[in-house]
Amino acid sequence: MRVGIVCPYSFDIPGGVQYHVRDLAEILIARGHQVSVLAPADDETPLPPYVVSAGRAIPVRYNGSVARLNFGPITNARVNGWLDRGRFDLIHIHEPITPSIGSLALWAAECPIVATFHTSNLRSRAMQVSYPFFRPSLEKILGRIAVSEDARRTVTTHFGGEPVVIPNGVYVDRFAGAEVNPSWQGTPERPTVAFLGRMAEPRKGMPVLAAALPAIRRELPGIRVLVAGPGDPDEVRAQLRPEDVDALEFLGAVSDADKASLLRSVDVYIAPNTGGESFGIILIEAMAAGAAVLASDIPAFVRVLDAGKAGVTFRNEDPADLAAQLVALLRDGAARAEVAARGRRRADVFDWGVVADQIAMVYETVLEGAAMARVPVTGPQRVIGRFRRAARGESGDDG
Amino acid sequence: MTRSDWIFAAVGVLVALGWYLSYSAARLDRLHARVEGTLAALDAQLVRRAEATLELVNSATLDAASSLMLASAASDSLAMSELAEADIESQRFGHDRESVESDLTEALTQVLGEETLAHLAREGAADSDGLQALGRVRATCLRVQLARRFHNGAVTDVRMVRRKWTVRVFRLAGHAAMPQTVEFRDALPAGWA
Repeated sequence: MRVGIVCPYSFDIPGGVQYHVRDLAEILIARGHQVSVLAPADDETPLPPYVVSAGRAIPVRYNGSVARLNFGPITNARVNGWLDRGRFDLIHIHEPITPSIGSLALWAAECPIVATFHTSNLRSRAMQVSYPFFRPSLEKILGRIAVSEDARRTVTTHFGGEPVVIPNGVYVDRFAGAEVNPSWQGTPERPTVAFLGRMAEPRKGMPVLAAALPAIRRELPGIRVLVAGPGDPDEVRAQLRPEDVDALEFLGAVSDADKASLLRSVDVYIAPNTGGESFGIILIEAMAAGAAVLASDIPAFVRVLDAGKAGVTFRNEDPADLAAQLVALLRDGAARAEVAARGRRRADVFDWGVVADQIAMVYETVLEGAAMARVPVTGPQRVIGRFRRAARGESGDDG
Repeated sequence: MTRSDWIFAAVGVLVALGWYLSYSAARLDRLHARVEGTLAALDAQLVRRAEATLELVNSATLDAASSLMLASAASDSLAMSELAEADIESQRFGHDRESVESDLTEALTQVLGEETLAHLAREGAADSDGLQALGRVRATCLRVQLARRFHNGAVTDVRMVRRKWTVRVFRLAGHAAMPQTVEFRDALPAGWA
């Protein structure tokens, strides 16, 4: 099958959608499909062979945060050129509602379209204003996928219909088979806990963890909290009592291999995020690596943890509850092993092998439906498509 | 404004309206085609699910009572799909067919309980034909779910456009029947979900 995948976010910077697209493309290629990914990227960024650059992305304030996006006539021409050259059986657009190559591809494509919705916080006002203009191109999406329950609800509210929930994938083996690093392994006196993510972003929960530290250290004075991720350690240290500072060890930004190794080595992975998460792939990575997971009870995390069966949760933004749960988990080795084992089984649900099967099934179902229709169901936006075809010197009626 | 100005303006409005109507008609036609395609695909998936279920029955993986229950539900579904051929042509999916498909889902859920599935997986090594048949039933169940979702999505899109006053006043939908969503139980047995 010839599949074109559109990623609206720049490959220059890391991000959940970009990783998802990369992994999906690689597993589809490994299964014998021909895949081309269209994504924004700087000219100097080295790209995997299957990625076609849609040009340089520009940082724009959109939907409440700064995103690097592509738009304008030159980008539009690049998108059309990619679609023409690719002659895809199907294209799979990620985040089709961003003002970027996703919406351009949606507009121009004439083959069956599958779309994946990642975000759960769509700007509804912008959507309502541009709705009449945008609606016809949304009708070209034959199969809608949402990556989480929250994303599904957002899609249903804004566009109607019932998307299929297919979660983000994780290569479970890469985490389950990661190297153990003895310097990150815990001992009964000096148990280890990992925190990953931007420490400066309050919603990642570092302030909650910092507030819980005194109570934790009263019970477990030897605790080591390994903090991995970008940010300034001094900003975090400033939130702590002087005697608690040494409990935190800052590893800085870590490589993928080190991240897997860290999760494989520590006793507990902690996710004190206070909100704004629609999924929580890092929890799955931690479960795959065999760490016992302790997470705040925000809805996305509770679902990933299978209603709290595959990990332990504490009351969101409650340092006292965090401390109590963490101490209990670190003191009871047998209970911790049991939590880790349940997590390990839970992670299999999100393995890329399983997730890719589900996505391939969506492709097949969509293609079958399109093939059984009496006329092409994703014809061009009628007049514009005709002009485009005429400009390319093609003839034929598009119905 | 002179008289010719008025005429030009009127012609301009008529051309714009004509373009808009032709555009809307083409859009609606594509949407109807999409619904027909997704309904035909759903029909095909349902037939495959019933056939895979009969295959599982014939692989002698299950006990006699379970096999009989599945065979009865699956053959009802197949019989109904033959009767419904004309319905699919005319874009209908009757309530009686919905209930037959719910029944097959029900039968699969009851026969393939979590304990049974775990038992079959343990015994599986001895009889890999049975496991393969089981795998095919699972895959067809998933595809039925997808096909029904995508069909209902297409129906929702058509109905939204057909509610527009231009479409109603100018009868852009012609004689095409108003498509209806297809509702039946398609949940996977708990051990598979």
